[in-house]
Amino acid sequence: MLQDIFDIIIKHKDGFLKGLLVTFEICLIVWIIGLLLGTAIGYFISKNKVINRTVRVLSFVLSGIPVLVFLFWLHYPAQSFLDISVNPFYTAVFMLSLLNIIAVSEIVSNGVKNLPNQFLEVAKVCGINRKTTFFKIQLPLIARHIVPSLLTAQVNSLHLSLFASLISVEEIFRVSQRIISIEYKPVEIYTALGIFFLIVSLPVNGFAIYLKQKFGRRLDEK
Amino acid sequence: MIRANNIYKQIGNATILKNISLEINKGEVSVLFGPSGSGKTSLCRNLALLDYPDKGEINILGNAYSFPANGKFKNLPYPKIGFVYQQLFLWPHLTNKQNILLALGKNAESRQEQFEELVELLEIKEIIERYPNEVSIGQKQRVAIARALILNPDFIFLDEITSALDIVQTKKIISLVETLRNKGVGVLIVTHNLEMFRKVADDMIFLNKGEVMEKGNDIFQNPKSKELKNFLG
Repeated sequence: MLQDIFDIIIKHKDGFLKGLLVTFEICLIVWIIGLLLGTAIGYFISKNKVINRTVRVLSFVLSGIPVLVFLFWLHYPAQSFLDISVNPFYTAVFMLSLLNIIAVSEIVSNGVKNLPNQFLEVAKVCGINRKTTFFKIQLPLIARHIVPSLLTAQVNSLHLSLFASLISVEEIFRVSQRIISIEYKPVEIYTALGIFFLIVSLPVNGFAIYLKQKFGRRLDEK
Repeated sequence: MIRANNIYKQIGNATILKNISLEINKGEVSVLFGPSGSGKTSLCRNLALLDYPDKGEINILGNAYSFPANGKFKNLPYPKIGFVYQQLFLWPHLTNKQNILLALGKNAESRQEQFEELVELLEIKEIIERYPNEVSIGQKQRVAIARALILNPDFIFLDEITSALDIVQTKKIISLVETLRNKGVGVLIVTHNLEMFRKVADDMIFLNKGEVMEKGNDIFQNPKSKELKNFLG
């Protein structure tokens, strides 16, 4: 079977490569938007109870809707209702970014809220100014606590990018489906796809576990 | 001097501190004791302005702070007051040395001599480059004290810091407290370990249900209130 997988990859290498590039392009944009906006929103909502509650309700509602359905709504009925036509690539990026922003903001907001206030109070008593407190104490402590979860959320975004195929985005899953319709070898092709996701996900997940073990212990030590 | 005048603190329906007036002087050791839940830590935090009383006035080194407070105070007394917590709260991502020196910022180099003196005095040389989670609780406590002392405070508050220490380590802390007193630092100790600390106390404050029941350096020998008699057994 390995030989078959290898043969198919070689035969359709251009298609696979194109699909891979689209997948990476989606992910890169979704990761950057999600991490930047999600971090800013997460930090802001941790300080504001009203916005915090609003985002939590939004997150709760959205998490109850399957991604597939949400994407379908955005691509067909929403665009028809608004009488617009958006490139499916951007629709997918918009939806996945929105989900990533929500995930990241929740992680960041929890990280800020879970940091024992006394770490900052000690800084105040020591006469340390706000800037130093933020950069030398608050930020590193929060980062160590949330980076593993952020990495896991980004891997999740990569997996969710498969759903873009539903609205005809030519990403790796869509390309694979097309190759299956030519070669009639779904097991081999889906296995190749699985291996690809493993190769990308495993190091990131492994790194997340490493960070959790290394720094989780230090932050727990109060 | 730190002087509290008629301070009150309420949390929900419970009155935590009732009409408390007291003084803590530089170069003296004051020991604050009382049953669990009597408001010792609350009083300590209020005196250090980490929490604000609902009513009353606190005067710290000539600055008066009246309550209820209108907004935030601009001239808070830090780092003239040092505070060492029961749970210590050393910054876990920094080494013990970085924990001690962070507050000095760019002045850290010029204060190297004082840093080394403190390290010697507190016997933390061996562990100075390690992280807090890599050392014992007694060593952590000494690092936390060093972090407060490097800033040359006029007063230092020690909140139950010997609760997890054995006799030998507690004796070391008592010896340090005496050294601080001799240097003119005012020390307020919150403790359950009365036997050990009463020997160094210049003043003892017995707190019960948020009220100062008795105060003075002879209250141990001549308890007047029923509450203190019961507490001492």
